[in-house]
Amino acid sequence: MPSAEHLAIIAAAGSRKTEFVVNEALAHDDKRVLITTYTLNNLGCVEDRTYGKVGRVPQHITITSWYGFLLNQWCRPYQRAVLGAPGVIRGLDFESTRSRFVRQSQAQQYYCNRSGDIYADWTADFAVKLNDATSGDVAHRLEAMYDEIYVDEVQDLVGYDLDVLDALLSSEIHIVMVGDPRQHTYATNQNTRNRKYRGAGLRDWFTERKDICALQTNTVSYRSNQAICDFADALFPHLPGTTSANAEVTTPTGIVMLKPAELAGYMAAHNPAILRHSVTSNTFGFGGMNFGASKGSTFDHVVIFPTQPIKHYLKTRDPGVLADEARSKLYVAITRARHSVAFVV
Amino acid sequence: MLQKIVIHNYRVFRDFTLDFTAGMNILVGDNDAGKSTLLEAVNLALTGRVQSRQLSQDLSPYMFNLDTTGEFVAALKAGGHPQPPELIVDLYLDVSDVTAPLRGTNNSTGENACGLRFRAAFNPEFTAEYEEFIKKPDAIRVIPTEYYRCEWLGFSGNPVTYRSVPATASMIDATAIRLQSGADFYLQDIISNNLSPADRVELTRAYRSLREEFAGNDSIAAINAKLKASPGDVSDRDLSLGIDISQRASWESSLVPHLNDLPFTFVGKGEQSSLKILLALNRKVDAAHIILVEEPENHLSFSRMNILIRKILDKCDGRQVLATTHSSYVLNKLGLEQLVLVTPTGGMRLSGLTTGTQNYFRKLSGYDTLRLILARRAILVEGPSDELIVQRAYLDVHGQLPIEDGIDVISVGLAFRRFLELAVPLQRSTAVVRDNDGKDPATVADRYARFTKHDFIAVHVGAAAGGSTLEPQLLAANDRDTLNEIFGTSFDTDDALVDHMTANKTTCALAIFESATKLNMPGYIQDAVG
Repeated sequence: MPSAEHLAIIAAAGSRKTEFVVNEALAHDDKRVLITTYTLNNLGCVEDRTYGKVGRVPQHITITSWYGFLLNQWCRPYQRAVLGAPGVIRGLDFESTRSRFVRQSQAQQYYCNRSGDIYADWTADFAVKLNDATSGDVAHRLEAMYDEIYVDEVQDLVGYDLDVLDALLSSEIHIVMVGDPRQHTYATNQNTRNRKYRGAGLRDWFTERKDICALQTNTVSYRSNQAICDFADALFPHLPGTTSANAEVTTPTGIVMLKPAELAGYMAAHNPAILRHSVTSNTFGFGGMNFGASKGSTFDHVVIFPTQPIKHYLKTRDPGVLADEARSKLYVAITRARHSVAFVV
Repeated sequence: MLQKIVIHNYRVFRDFTLDFTAGMNILVGDNDAGKSTLLEAVNLALTGRVQSRQLSQDLSPYMFNLDTTGEFVAALKAGGHPQPPELIVDLYLDVSDVTAPLRGTNNSTGENACGLRFRAAFNPEFTAEYEEFIKKPDAIRVIPTEYYRCEWLGFSGNPVTYRSVPATASMIDATAIRLQSGADFYLQDIISNNLSPADRVELTRAYRSLREEFAGNDSIAAINAKLKASPGDVSDRDLSLGIDISQRASWESSLVPHLNDLPFTFVGKGEQSSLKILLALNRKVDAAHIILVEEPENHLSFSRMNILIRKILDKCDGRQVLATTHSSYVLNKLGLEQLVLVTPTGGMRLSGLTTGTQNYFRKLSGYDTLRLILARRAILVEGPSDELIVQRAYLDVHGQLPIEDGIDVISVGLAFRRFLELAVPLQRSTAVVRDNDGKDPATVADRYARFTKHDFIAVHVGAAAGGSTLEPQLLAANDRDTLNEIFGTSFDTDDALVDHMTANKTTCALAIFESATKLNMPGYIQDAVG
């Protein structure tokens, strides 16, 4: 059992999660540090922040996407242990998945398409299989390469990804995982494994590992004011509430309901960011950014074009009317704002 | 440090494995045994380059083993469906934190090891073209490398770059001096490896400002003004002269090292090669640096070589050197225990030799140790007269001199056992021809019992009846008149003739060697050449 205690931080939106990760990594320049995260968007944020602070990615830090990490450091090195031959894997296949009739004993067809690209949905499964088949050689190799691994936006990891995390937690490497279960808008794969730990269930997953992994909850938002925090928290009533550290008073402030007729004037007066469900949402010609893509961004004022379920929620204020993904996306959209969130109804 | 190399289908090596040791590894072998190819393969795995060109850009069918090619082509012609052969060089490195990213089992042996792999294999993207290609098997002579792709990977299966390879090598091939413009690739590499990153930055900066000064120079400015004023015949644009300041035109392509103010290319070849070797050896930056030396004896006078060898010994302390040589002098000086006899399938070491024997050969620098190593078969004799007689005996039986059959007759004085000790690990077929020195031949032969238990070693001692040394043996096998005739002498007694022969050993042996008359050779010599 590794003596070094790992760390998991469940942090509210706007609590400077990525900032924390980057600062820690930069400070530990006597360690070899890996930072990984699922979305390329957030990977860009991590890189931008590192460049912003020191103008480069220092030699002791490696920044890689979660899938790049799985492919290069988990799947390729010991692939022959499961595939029976070296040099089979070429890349990743995000488009297709294997035929239902392939048996696990046909390992190459089970995990890879014909050109040797590994099926994205089964990459993490393959990764843990390899680690088991080599009695942990995969993890041992990583131990020789890294002292610390930071996983940002850990709530995006689902299915077998959690088994990969388990393998890391039982290695010598110090693991720090940071995320917000409420922002579970993306998932690395559609695997049904570990289903109950998706989204808000991630907290339970951490709790079950509290012996080796300390769990911190960070409920301070440096971004949104208290009114916005309260409104967002209401979407997840069973999770701890958020305290705002933003006491700046502005106009408009808090939650605003806007009629379509008022939109043009509001836009001209406050220059808000427009957030929409998808490109097909009607934003009256004002364009906008999808909820999901806005993760990681900060705006003073936000205008949200609600979907039908969101409109329903605004009336009933019952989070149950929103599906998990819709709820998380709404949470992300709301918590982008510092000062005000306007719904066009 | 390099631990091991495994090669498949690269040039002379079809399936080749060799373990390296720390420090010095001296590669010897027949011409075409693959010594240079082995260095080339090490360099290929470390740099992706062969003769300073990237092999991925330069893959040709001739990089493939001829037997492999032959079998592939034959199988195609016979209507079979052979898999296009793969070319693989796997270089195993020491396990360390630095090499950890290169760790994995993507190698020939499936070991969990740190290392580098160069692989050229059929590219499935060309399957359609390939299917067309093999429809006419009679037109196929070589492996269709145009449908191949090259990969340069760690054993992790991930691509590597020149920068990410933790071990670096200086390939010192003194014969290949390529200096088209500026410093050649080797030299560039060696020079920039010797410089610290700060030095390199300074050099680049100084070079850039030099180029800028050139453009600002008054006469250049005047010339450019003149050029600008003359209307162009071909173009309406302004024409001016300047030094290429693009990234490509860095100092490496323009700066030339000078020795005593002579540009490097104008210095003697010997000086060039020793300079290259010394520059490489002087590199202090990291111990992971591996030095590949191709025949350091090239272009060097004996005394210069001596100095060089001493420097190599001093400087290579604690670092790994792979050197090929044809010179037994080099071999002896660098230490026989480091010798690796390169064969098409692997290498053989002499580390089993006793210290006494190693020291013996090390002191005998002028001695042709390599003759035993390189010969197909060796006949060891005591001195030059024995050598001549044995050669003649062989000629009489086989119609040509032993050397023409790859058999070397070597005079070793009284050091038979030293050479036999060398012959055992080499499994070299060796015959000893010696006098009985007045003792019972069986007793004399018995002294070599621990060698003759190997069936490739035989000891032939003169029979007791024939006399104690070569001369009485020759007389006993023939008669006085025949010998008198050959020597142009007229001795009345056998004793007087033997005394004459003994006093003029070499002259008499030479007379026999050159004589038109065929002598009866003593039985033990006949046995040795038979």
